[in-house]
This record gives sequence, C-alpha cells and structure tokens, in this order.
Amino acid sequence: MEGLFFNVNSGYVEGIVRGYRNSLLTGQHYNNLTQCETIDDVKLQLAPAYGDFLAALPPNPSTSALAGKMTDKLVAEFRYVLTQATGSTARFLEYLTYGYMIDNIALLITGTLHERDTRELLERCHPLGWFETLPVLCVATNIEELYNSVLIETPLAGYFKGSLSHQDLDELNIEIVRNTLYKNYLEDFYQFVNTHPDFKGTPTQEVMSELLEFEADRRAINITLNSFGTELSKQERRKLYPEFGKLYPEGSLMLSRADDLESVSLAVSISADYKAFFDAVGLTQGAGFGGGADGKSLEDMFYQKEMEMSKVVFTRQFTPAVVYAWMRLKEQEIRNVTWIAECIAQHQKERIGNFISVF
Amino acid sequence: MSGAVPEITRRIDEAKQKMGRVMQIAAFSLAEVSYAVGGDIGYQIQESAKQARFRVRAKQDNVSGVLLPHFESYTEEGINDFGLTGLGKGGQQVQRSRETYARAVETLVELASLQTAFVILDEVIKVVNRRVNAIEHVIIPRTENTIKYIMSELDEVDREEFYRLKKVSNKKQRDIAAADAEMEARRAAAQEKEGQKALEPEKEAPDAPDVLGEQEDADVIF
Repeated sequence: MEGLFFNVNSGYVEGIVRGYRNSLLTGQHYNNLTQCETIDDVKLQLAPAYGDFLAALPPNPSTSALAGKMTDKLVAEFRYVLTQATGSTARFLEYLTYGYMIDNIALLITGTLHERDTRELLERCHPLGWFETLPVLCVATNIEELYNSVLIETPLAGYFKGSLSHQDLDELNIEIVRNTLYKNYLEDFYQFVNTHPDFKGTPTQEVMSELLEFEADRRAINITLNSFGTELSKQERRKLYPEFGKLYPEGSLMLSRADDLESVSLAVSISADYKAFFDAVGLTQGAGFGGGADGKSLEDMFYQKEMEMSKVVFTRQFTPAVVYAWMRLKEQEIRNVTWIAECIAQHQKERIGNFISVF
Repeated sequence: MSGAVPEITRRIDEAKQKMGRVMQIAAFSLAEVSYAVGGDIGYQIQESAKQARFRVRAKQDNVSGVLLPHFESYTEEGINDFGLTGLGKGGQQVQRSRETYARAVETLVELASLQTAFVILDEVIKVVNRRVNAIEHVIIPRTENTIKYIMSELDEVDREEFYRLKKVSNKKQRDIAAADAEMEARRAAAQEKEGQKALEPEKEAPDAPDVLGEQEDADVIF
C-alpha cells in the first residue's frame, strides 16, 4: 500500500538520496586514500566525490579544515533534500536535525553559564542544528531568561518540559542536560515513526524502529561505561537511558545497577549482537577497554554495526529512512577521511586502517 | 658547577626527545577523540574545566651556591572537571586522551625545570667568567704594578740607608783617625816634656791649672 502514493510526494527526495548514496566512498577509494603521502594527495583523491567543496582549501590544509569542507557538502545536500520534502517526509527530516540542535543548545548554554560572548559561539554551532530562533539564545543573559523566553520557542521545548527546569540548568552538568535532551529526543522520534499515520505500518516504521532502538541501546551502554568513576549517581544515570530499545526494560535496569564492565556485559547479553561485541573486544579483561586483538574498540564495533544497518536500509523502498541512513553513512565517511588524513599528517600509518567502510 | 652543565644538557636532550614522542602520541590520541566523538569538543572542555587537576610545585635546589628552581608536577586526583564529557559517545577516548596529555605536560614540566636550571647556570657561569677575566686582566696587573712600585720604593729607601750608613762610618773613621793623631801628638808632646823634666828635674809639680786663676776656661764646643 505504502508504495502506491509514496512517490507522489517523496519519490524525488528518495531518488536524490539514492543518488547521493552512490557517491559515497567505497573500499577502493579508501584503499587509494590510505596510500596517500600528503593531505594534498588526499584532497586529490577526494576530488571526484567532493569536487568544488574542496577547491577553496589552501594547499596542505589542516584535517579539521578538510572535515569542515566535507561537512559543508553534507549540509548543502541535506538542505536541498529538506527543501524538496513535503508533508510527513519534511517532518521526518526536521526530526533528523533535532539531534544537532541539541548539541548547539548545549554549546550555547555552556557559553551562557560562563558568561561568554555567545555571538562567537554561533560560529561553532553545527549548521544542521541551526534554527531561526538560535541567535535569539544569545540575547539571554541568564539561564532563567534563556529558558523562559527562548527555549520555549524552540522546537526542542518539549524535550525540556517535564524533565528539566531552569533550576536544573544552573546546577546540572551540561553533559547531563545534553543527554537528557537526547534521550527525550530519541523517545519522541521513536514515538513519531511508530504512531504517525503516514509511517505506521510502512517500511519506515520497521527500519527506523530498528535504527533508533540500536541508537538508544548504544547510548545506554556508552553512558553506563563512561559514567564509571564519575560523580554521576546510579539514579541519575538511569534517567538518561532512553526508554525503548532492545535492552529496555530488563537490560536498562541491569545497566542502571551495573558497577563494572562485567555487570554491563551481563546486562547486554540479552541481545546476541551486543554480547558478540563485548566478547570481541574482551571487555571482561578489565583494563582492556581500549581495544581487542585487532585494535577495535567497543565504539568501533557500534559504528560498524550502525554502518551495516544503514547500508541495509537502502534495500528498502518508499521510505524517508534512507535519508537518515545516508546521513549516518556520510558522517562516518567524514570521520573516516578525517582519521586517514590525521594518520597521514601525523605519520602514524600503522593504524590508518582503523576506519569503517561498508561499501 | 661546570660539572653540572654537561649533565643538564644531556638530560635536556633526553627530555626533548621524550617530549617529541609523547606529544606525537598525545596528538594522535586527540585524533582518536575527534574520530570517536565526531565533532569538536574543545570548546566544551575549555568551558567545563574549572580547577586545575595537574599542578606544578616549585622548589629550590642549591647547586654550589646557586639557587636553581625545580618544578615538580602532581595531579590532584579529586578534581575531575570534565569527567562526563563524551558521556553519550567517546568518553573513553576523551579520558585516554586526557591521560596522554597529562603525561605530555609532565614531560614539559620536567623540561621546563631543566631548561630554567640551564639558563640560570649559564648566566651564573657567564658572570663568574666575567669576574675571572676582570681579576685576571685588570685587578691582578694593577696589584702587581703597585707591588712593583712599593718594591722599588723600598729599594730606594734601602739604598739611601746604605749610603747614609756608609757616610756615617766614613766620618766616624775620619774622626777616630783624627782623635788618634791628636792622642799621638799629645803623647809625643808629653814624652818630650818628660824628657825636658828629666833634664831640669826640679821643676815644680806640673802646672796644675789654677782653676780659680784669672785665665778663663776654654769654651766647650759640642
């Protein structure tokens, strides 16, 4: 059924994104990139895929400049897709930008808390997380004002409501604010793809549920692992876990009680996938956090899994989920290229193969 | 002190090479962070850092009278300002990178104390060298001149003294000779008178001078 009318409104968007997907770098490209001796060579190798965007770079640019230009291309393409989208697809795409908005707001709140000139912060904001009222955040001088007059107007107001008040913004560590927002965002997004009449019972619901559940689980596991040895209490930690996903509720409960790596790996053993990750990186060895035998860390494993899932999304049709998948793939590509460029710039070739390529 | 300098230069060399290695590892760990987090977290970390976790204490060492500052680094374990950074993703990398950079800063501190010591010692050695030169080329010759002058003066005085003594002894000899001659003459005159008395024996007791007489005493000349 969903195929019947999907293309009337969103066929173009999907087509465009499928075109973008074909321009993603393949294993062959990465092979060529790893052979490069200088950043200029990297730039040359990227020229077919990135073309004009890299042309403005000076000779031998810094890796961050390179990454910046690559992000610019992603942003430009995404904006184009966004302007083409209508109706529920447009809403779906807007949801994609909320994650970046959360980062931007966290950045601005940090700036406001330390009474910095928030104007200079605007330059640091991620362009995808830009929304009309973002510059207005700069006007606010204190947190209460920020919350009452500015955040209320943003698309994220709903995420603040109920879980964060302006008192919290003062005291809480900004990381907790950010993760609370992100949790609410993920839950809202999950709710959206599962209940919206245009998406319910379509491939979008299936695909996005899977992806978002994975994202939720990944966050829960990461938050647990990263909170060891910090002042984050178990109750607070539990509040940061998204309330869906494969691990919810039993796994989340076990995670919230976990004290060490072993209890975490016990908690995630509900899901065969995550268990396999933990086994692979050998987290039970205690200190072996950083990586297993092949130098892959748990984060790498998660990225790898995410990329594989994103790749599979393209086998489905009639769904805007391909945009989500494409953005994830593109971001990973930018990270990969940055990593390779970094390795080349620092002459650390032995770990240059530590990137994730799925095509 | 000059024994300390080669030792310090050797250690500076070692520390610099170590710094090169450590900084490379540190920069690479930063690359790992940016790979894992997928964005720039620099600003966030700058803002959330409130207290220094890594601190430096300065002490003073005494190397043959020269006070050398010596820096000691230590970590304040209780302070963990951005422990939550990268909570969602990349936290491990952030912490690892922090440890690597802490090691890098440790090396820098070590290098700093060595270099300061080196600079100060260098300065001190220069000052000492200047002093040595000044003493060698100015003060010693000047003192030597003075000594020479005093010696020559003393010689002069000696010579004068000698000459004077010679003069005095000459004069004394002359006086003695004159006195001798007079005595001789007197004795000869007395003998002559004796001879005359023997010739005219009834000569009244020799003319004991009539002290109370009219003739005056001869003036005594000193």
